[in-house]
Amino acid sequence: MSSPSPRLSFWSNRKNFELWLVGGAAVFLIFVFPLFNKLGWVSNFTISLWGKYLCYALLAMSVDLLWGYTGLLSLGQALFFALGGYMHGMYLMRMIGERGQYHKPIPDFLVFLGWEKLPSFWEPFASFPFSLTMVFLLPGLIAYVFGVLAFRSRIRGVYFSILTQALTYAASIMFFRNNLLLGGNNGFTDFKLILGYDLQAAVTQRALFVASAVALLLVYGFCRWLKQTKFGLVQQAIRDGENRVLFSGYATAHYKLFVFVLAALIAAVGGALYVPQVGIINPSEMQADKSLEAVVWVAVGGRGTLLGPIVGAIGVNALKSWAVRAFPDLWYIVLGGLFILVVLFLPGGLVSIPKRFEPLWQRIRGMDTQKEAEAIVSPELKSEPRRT
Amino acid sequence: MTRLVRQFLELAVLLFLAVAPAAAVDAPRQTIVDAILSSDDGHKRELISSLMGQADDSIAGLLVAWRKDELFIFTTPDGAKIPVHLTGAKDAAGAQEAVRVLDDGAVTRSDGKLLRLVAGDLIAVEHTTAIRRAMKLVLDLIDLAAADPAKRLQAVQTIGLSQDASKLPALQARIPKEGDPHIQRALKEAVALIQLKDTNNGVKIAALTQLKELHSLASTDFLHRTIKEAETAKNNEVLKAARAALYAVEQHRSVVDLFGTLFRGISLGSILLVAALGLAITFGLMRVINMAHGEMIAVGAYTTYLVQNIFGAGITIPFFGLSLPLPGMNLTGAAYQWYFIAAIPLSFVAAALVGIVLERTVIRFLYRRPLESLLATWGVSLVLQQCLRLMFGANNVQVSSPVYLSGNWLVNDVILGWNRVFVIGFAILIVFGMWLVLSKTPLGLLIRASMQNRTMASCIGVRTERVNMLTFGLGSGLAGLAGAFLSQIGNVGPSLGQGYIIDSFMVVVVGGVGSIGGTIISAFSIGGIDQVLQQYLPDWAPGLAWVPGIGTFLQNLAQDAAVFGKILVLAGIILFLQWRPSGLFSTRSRNLDE
Repeated sequence: MSSPSPRLSFWSNRKNFELWLVGGAAVFLIFVFPLFNKLGWVSNFTISLWGKYLCYALLAMSVDLLWGYTGLLSLGQALFFALGGYMHGMYLMRMIGERGQYHKPIPDFLVFLGWEKLPSFWEPFASFPFSLTMVFLLPGLIAYVFGVLAFRSRIRGVYFSILTQALTYAASIMFFRNNLLLGGNNGFTDFKLILGYDLQAAVTQRALFVASAVALLLVYGFCRWLKQTKFGLVQQAIRDGENRVLFSGYATAHYKLFVFVLAALIAAVGGALYVPQVGIINPSEMQADKSLEAVVWVAVGGRGTLLGPIVGAIGVNALKSWAVRAFPDLWYIVLGGLFILVVLFLPGGLVSIPKRFEPLWQRIRGMDTQKEAEAIVSPELKSEPRRT
Repeated sequence: MTRLVRQFLELAVLLFLAVAPAAAVDAPRQTIVDAILSSDDGHKRELISSLMGQADDSIAGLLVAWRKDELFIFTTPDGAKIPVHLTGAKDAAGAQEAVRVLDDGAVTRSDGKLLRLVAGDLIAVEHTTAIRRAMKLVLDLIDLAAADPAKRLQAVQTIGLSQDASKLPALQARIPKEGDPHIQRALKEAVALIQLKDTNNGVKIAALTQLKELHSLASTDFLHRTIKEAETAKNNEVLKAARAALYAVEQHRSVVDLFGTLFRGISLGSILLVAALGLAITFGLMRVINMAHGEMIAVGAYTTYLVQNIFGAGITIPFFGLSLPLPGMNLTGAAYQWYFIAAIPLSFVAAALVGIVLERTVIRFLYRRPLESLLATWGVSLVLQQCLRLMFGANNVQVSSPVYLSGNWLVNDVILGWNRVFVIGFAILIVFGMWLVLSKTPLGLLIRASMQNRTMASCIGVRTERVNMLTFGLGSGLAGLAGAFLSQIGNVGPSLGQGYIIDSFMVVVVGGVGSIGGTIISAFSIGGIDQVLQQYLPDWAPGLAWVPGIGTFLQNLAQDAAVFGKILVLAGIILFLQWRPSGLFSTRSRNLDE
């Protein structure tokens, strides 16, 4: 990680550019956008839509941390996202109180299933701090147990992917059952209050949007810090050649376990912020397809970069919002086709496009041969993730 | 010449004899006519009751018509009385066609026209309560003598379960006449069940002994009731016999359950095996993570659907605004039933072609990047699924079972579905076929060489590009075959493959990647364990109460045996991989990264 040379072009000086971009976007999302909404220039719909995108971006960050930086392709991140959502959703369900369809002190679906009083594990979720703890605790615990089992027996590569997919699958078929007492098919919806505020009010939605933006900024900053620590370097070394790291005396299983749990927590935060903004959580959110979709965002945006997953999550979802309405029949063909093309022709994702045009840019600028050579061997180019 | 005439005459006599019984009036119709014309109610009842247990199709229709006041007596101008049945649509005057009860023939008037009568002008043939009761008895028992064995069996079982003592003589009379051993057994069972209600202890005990010998599963509830009655009546002999019978029945039930579970386990195992075999080649041998494998299965299933329609009335497929009409051959009967046999090779070819196109356009660029082949093929799977949805609609399509695959085979109370039996046979067949291809043909040799070491095989002159293409085609074709058979077992819809993809990967991973033998063993183990859990989890569920905190929760969950069993199997697989990370049979390699 040498400091970028000031003589390099603006585009190849990516670090600076990225910082400016992120700073600008953060100021815009945290201050300007909500202000515009308050002034009525941006609709409430747009705010909640972008709030959703930001939560997806958090999910994408967690996928990237695992796949882009550690080489672990997890197809179970949607599970942690949904679990975070469910844990927060349980609090929101308790807050409905007697305002439900049946006007009973227990959630409607329990009345429907013939319950008279609240099952005991629902009791503590009336407290927001408890629910918040569970948002971290449950996904973290599941990730820890699964991680210990998987990494201890050195399950890696595609086997890890397949097993995480099976984990998600098992969880989703469980959550689809009414007997789990978590709403079955329909999951949780019809929320009314959060911390005593009306969830439907514009100001609440705005606050949740700002919270999502801040969470994303914090996660971005944290990952940025993590990647240049010694830990982050070992993590990337595991991605590039796990056996060499293992033989150099690092217990790679511990590193991977830590990253896996960390990624689960990030996904869970995304899910917990997602539920109040979208207003519904059900088991279809934790199906294996959703995890794969999150992987698509990261691949399209650019894995192994910090900006890529955010660009990918927002870009693909904005495309989806538009395409689902414009071409409802063709959307899946577009998504699938986009994915095939990116994997085949653009392994670096969207954020690698500027760099691809760099030689062209330099020729236009008329740089001399010596500087061109310098640009070619610049560390930025070499740090592209190895294809696994 | 005279000889010829004599032969001709003999032939004519023979022909006449052959025709004569058909021309004559069949006895049940004559009996009904007699009953209608008889003036004595007692005689009428006797005549009707004499029909009991006879197997004539006309009886039921005429008796029902009688009860519904559709039979009338028509008096001809010369005074003869003809019972007629008014049928068909009413014309403007309200008249219907009159059909003779005696021989089902139309009545012609003297002017040669068909006789039409208005129901209101005539008086319907009368029936009293006693006659109706006699008719009902005949009607209830009519199926006992039906030509269709399934109908007979059903009738016997219904009578047995209703414990109607008035039908006992008919049942007993039927026992020696019945040729089908299954139905004979059912008859004995029904007789014994009816006799359970007898007041005489001796008869009761004899019936219980009979039930004990037959270990009839249907009698459980009746035995429980008999035990309860005997307990209240302090009737020790009956109690003892009933307990013994119940014990025998319960013993038999557990054996039947065990074998049933075993069969379902083997059948599920073969389904998994059939679905996973293609993957064992593309993933196991080629190391390509083909997430579109499920869609290859769907392609095979839809090919079966197409072939079925081409054998039938034809089909028009809409696709991107175009519509492709496929003419049908309009076959019926036995020829139509052949469609499934024709669909088997076609579904292999269709899926293999899709696989080869996929290999040429996408996968060949990704042989060194397995994780990315996972992602690209997932994209392919989305595209294929959506294409299927656009072509065949989002709903499930109807694939009918040919006659030779529908129905059950009952072996000692264990129900074996023919389609399941076929899947087992089919699995054995394609495993054998695959073994032949891989180990006995030149292509198999090339495949094994290229898969073990692609570079080295290429160096010694194997055209690995072509081998890759063919291998992937083979794997996809096997998936297509699986689709053809799965279309007989489950629904055929655009997301058919999604239901099998995770299970298939599990089977291959547990068996050991690259080992076909491992795939076979793991498919049957996973199938067997899954079915055992599904069968016995509800019995074990109460035993889960000891788990601290979540005991009731687990008990509750275990009631959903299908889902909980599946989760336990997945958890079991994860734990199994702790013990053997590379599956049952691992292929040894000096390569560190494999």
